[in-house]
Amino acid sequence: MRACSQVQVMDDDFSSRRESPPPPHVVGVSLCDSAPLLWRVEDLRSVRAQGLVGALLGSLPRTPRQNGRLGRPLLLLPEEERLLRERQTAAALPARRQDGGGAELVVQVEQQQEEEQQRSYEEQSILALEDRKSALLRAMTSSHSGGPGSGTGTEASDEALRGRLEDLDRSFTFPQSALAVQLSTARAGLSYCPEARAFLQADWPIREQHDRSWDARYQVFRDLRGRGFYLTSAGKFGGDFLVYPGDPLRFHAHFIAICSSLDESVCVLDVLSAARLGSNVKKTVLLCSPGTDGRILYTSLQWSGMV
Amino acid sequence: MRRILSVLFSCRGNLVKATWLQSEQIVELQSPAGKFWQTMGFSANGKQNLLPEEALYLMECGNLQVFYQNLPLSIQDGYEKFLSSSTVSLQQYQVFAHLKRLGYVVHRFDPSLEPSSYARQLNLPQSRDRAVKQLKRKRSASPTATSSHTEVQETPTADRMEEDECGRDGEEDKKPPESPLTASAGTAAASSDEGGGRTWWMTDDLGERSDHKPASGRSRWHFSSIPFPDLGSRGSSSSCLVPPDSSLLPGSVAVGVCDIAPWRRRINLREVKMSSKERRREEDKRRRRWDINRDREVRRCRNWAEYRELLARREGRPKGRPAHLWNREVTPLHDPRQPIPTKELLDKLSVIKSTHLLEEASSIKGSDEWRICFNVYQPDTVADFKKSNPGKPYSRMCVCSFDGPVPDLRAIKLLTYQSGDVPVVLAVVDHGDISFYTFKDFHLPTDVFS
Repeated sequence: MRACSQVQVMDDDFSSRRESPPPPHVVGVSLCDSAPLLWRVEDLRSVRAQGLVGALLGSLPRTPRQNGRLGRPLLLLPEEERLLRERQTAAALPARRQDGGGAELVVQVEQQQEEEQQRSYEEQSILALEDRKSALLRAMTSSHSGGPGSGTGTEASDEALRGRLEDLDRSFTFPQSALAVQLSTARAGLSYCPEARAFLQADWPIREQHDRSWDARYQVFRDLRGRGFYLTSAGKFGGDFLVYPGDPLRFHAHFIAICSSLDESVCVLDVLSAARLGSNVKKTVLLCSPGTDGRILYTSLQWSGMV
Repeated sequence: MRRILSVLFSCRGNLVKATWLQSEQIVELQSPAGKFWQTMGFSANGKQNLLPEEALYLMECGNLQVFYQNLPLSIQDGYEKFLSSSTVSLQQYQVFAHLKRLGYVVHRFDPSLEPSSYARQLNLPQSRDRAVKQLKRKRSASPTATSSHTEVQETPTADRMEEDECGRDGEEDKKPPESPLTASAGTAAASSDEGGGRTWWMTDDLGERSDHKPASGRSRWHFSSIPFPDLGSRGSSSSCLVPPDSSLLPGSVAVGVCDIAPWRRRINLREVKMSSKERRREEDKRRRRWDINRDREVRRCRNWAEYRELLARREGRPKGRPAHLWNREVTPLHDPRQPIPTKELLDKLSVIKSTHLLEEASSIKGSDEWRICFNVYQPDTVADFKKSNPGKPYSRMCVCSFDGPVPDLRAIKLLTYQSGDVPVVLAVVDHGDISFYTFKDFHLPTDVFS
């Protein structure tokens, strides 16, 4: 944010020569069961560019029956959502309207859909016909090349080929059942302009009240993100965040961050179990607490032998 | 990133069309269902329907296109419409989809369809009508635990009765011996009036002729009135067996005199040739043998229990119990002179009593926080899976998250009790990662070789 405003200040001097940079992309967050989800591809790209990882929840369209790689929607951590809101790069998408926006709108949308389908059908039938022709050509030429004939034989076979292609043109029909239909993942429509952004911002639904532990987590998250680390959730490792030195797709996590406030007393057994877990998975445990002066204090635990 | 950008296409021929019924919160199919109908969906009002989570999963796989108000729903619309607190939450749907993608068959858990513990005890066959039609089921004829127990109890008494009539139900050829009661018909027959029968039991007062129920109190067998034919003794005088009392025989069976001469011919009545040493040994044994029946006190014992008491009394008399141990308020846990198996002694010593998971679980009231969401069936049963009779599930799922509390013992008992004998698995959702945990009952082994 600070970088943007600096550039703008400069722009006042050089406005004649340079255009103002485009406003940062605002992602549309839609709430499902009070969980923040991102559906649109450009939103996902923008969020990843900002260094926020999130978690994919849905089936991958190309290979839906596996759990190794998942597809959209992207679920945001509450800290990620709050960070986006503070940077003013996120806005709540309104839910799909129940009444469909009035009868005329419904009819209009239906008509659009039908036209689109018809267009898609025509395109696909043309492509299918070309496909069949090329397949036929391949079959004929391969059988012909294997044959013994040469000069005189080719004319006859060319005639036959042309005849068959013409037959295909006449009799080919592309059945409706073979039509490929796209099932859209994200809800289509709703490209909004900046004015709408302000409107949407005000509409952000207030969810659960945040307590102090949540605040501590957010401070730690923001600080670590600011230092360039990528963070994901670490419930499986008994911590609050997994800290990666770069994109999680390219690196293993280096730290397990456990957040607590400074005045909270920690049981020694908890520290011991955290250290044990961290050493077993070859990660360093970070105990993080927001200090009084706005800085975060980090303590790392590493298993070492007796000295 | 490129893979995430992939878009879902499906052939229209394979696409099943359906509509979302907002008021009933279910999806109604408009075209015939495909292969998924074998494990998902239900019939209602003559149409095929799907639950919202099933429909959403099929939409993500590209097998289903759901319309609402004549417009197709995108997957985003599906998530926002189908997942709510009244149907299935997002976390529960995550677990559902995860398991479905692995191939399991997942159904919603309905506590009312589970048999109660009483019904399970009676081993009633379970009927389940997820679909409208009911299937006939073979009634299982297995007895309950209690009835088999009584059967076992009855057989010893029956055996005992049969032992007395040794010749009666033995080999078919052997004729039954002379009925003991014909000899002492007077005493025995008159002393009991059960069903007009006779008994070998004597009452305490010998010679009393009133109807006295023999089973209660102390009764003795009239040994002198139960003769057993001794075909092997060489001094046997009779050469034939007297026919039994006709009142003891069923129906119109008539039995005549039994000639035992051919039997005796078959028995080896030759004297055993023993050497002088062996003869001397036999004599010594006979001489030294102390016939226990010569002891008057033993003769006074009427049954084994009394005999053991006599033995215990005789053993206990010489050694006294140390006064400083036994004459105070705090006495030793166990008298060392009493025999006791090691296991029982260890049980006596145990200060902490072991318990099992289901103890007092029936009294726990249900809670909203912890409840079973899904029944999970194994993937290899898909070929012959019937929705109307799915059978026992492989496990049941309870969905929670790492943000929430850890289940305490009360919650675990409640879930285990609700589930019956199917293990409960806790699916913990953590922002896209799911971990599965289960609690198992465990017994500490007791190191006893008994």
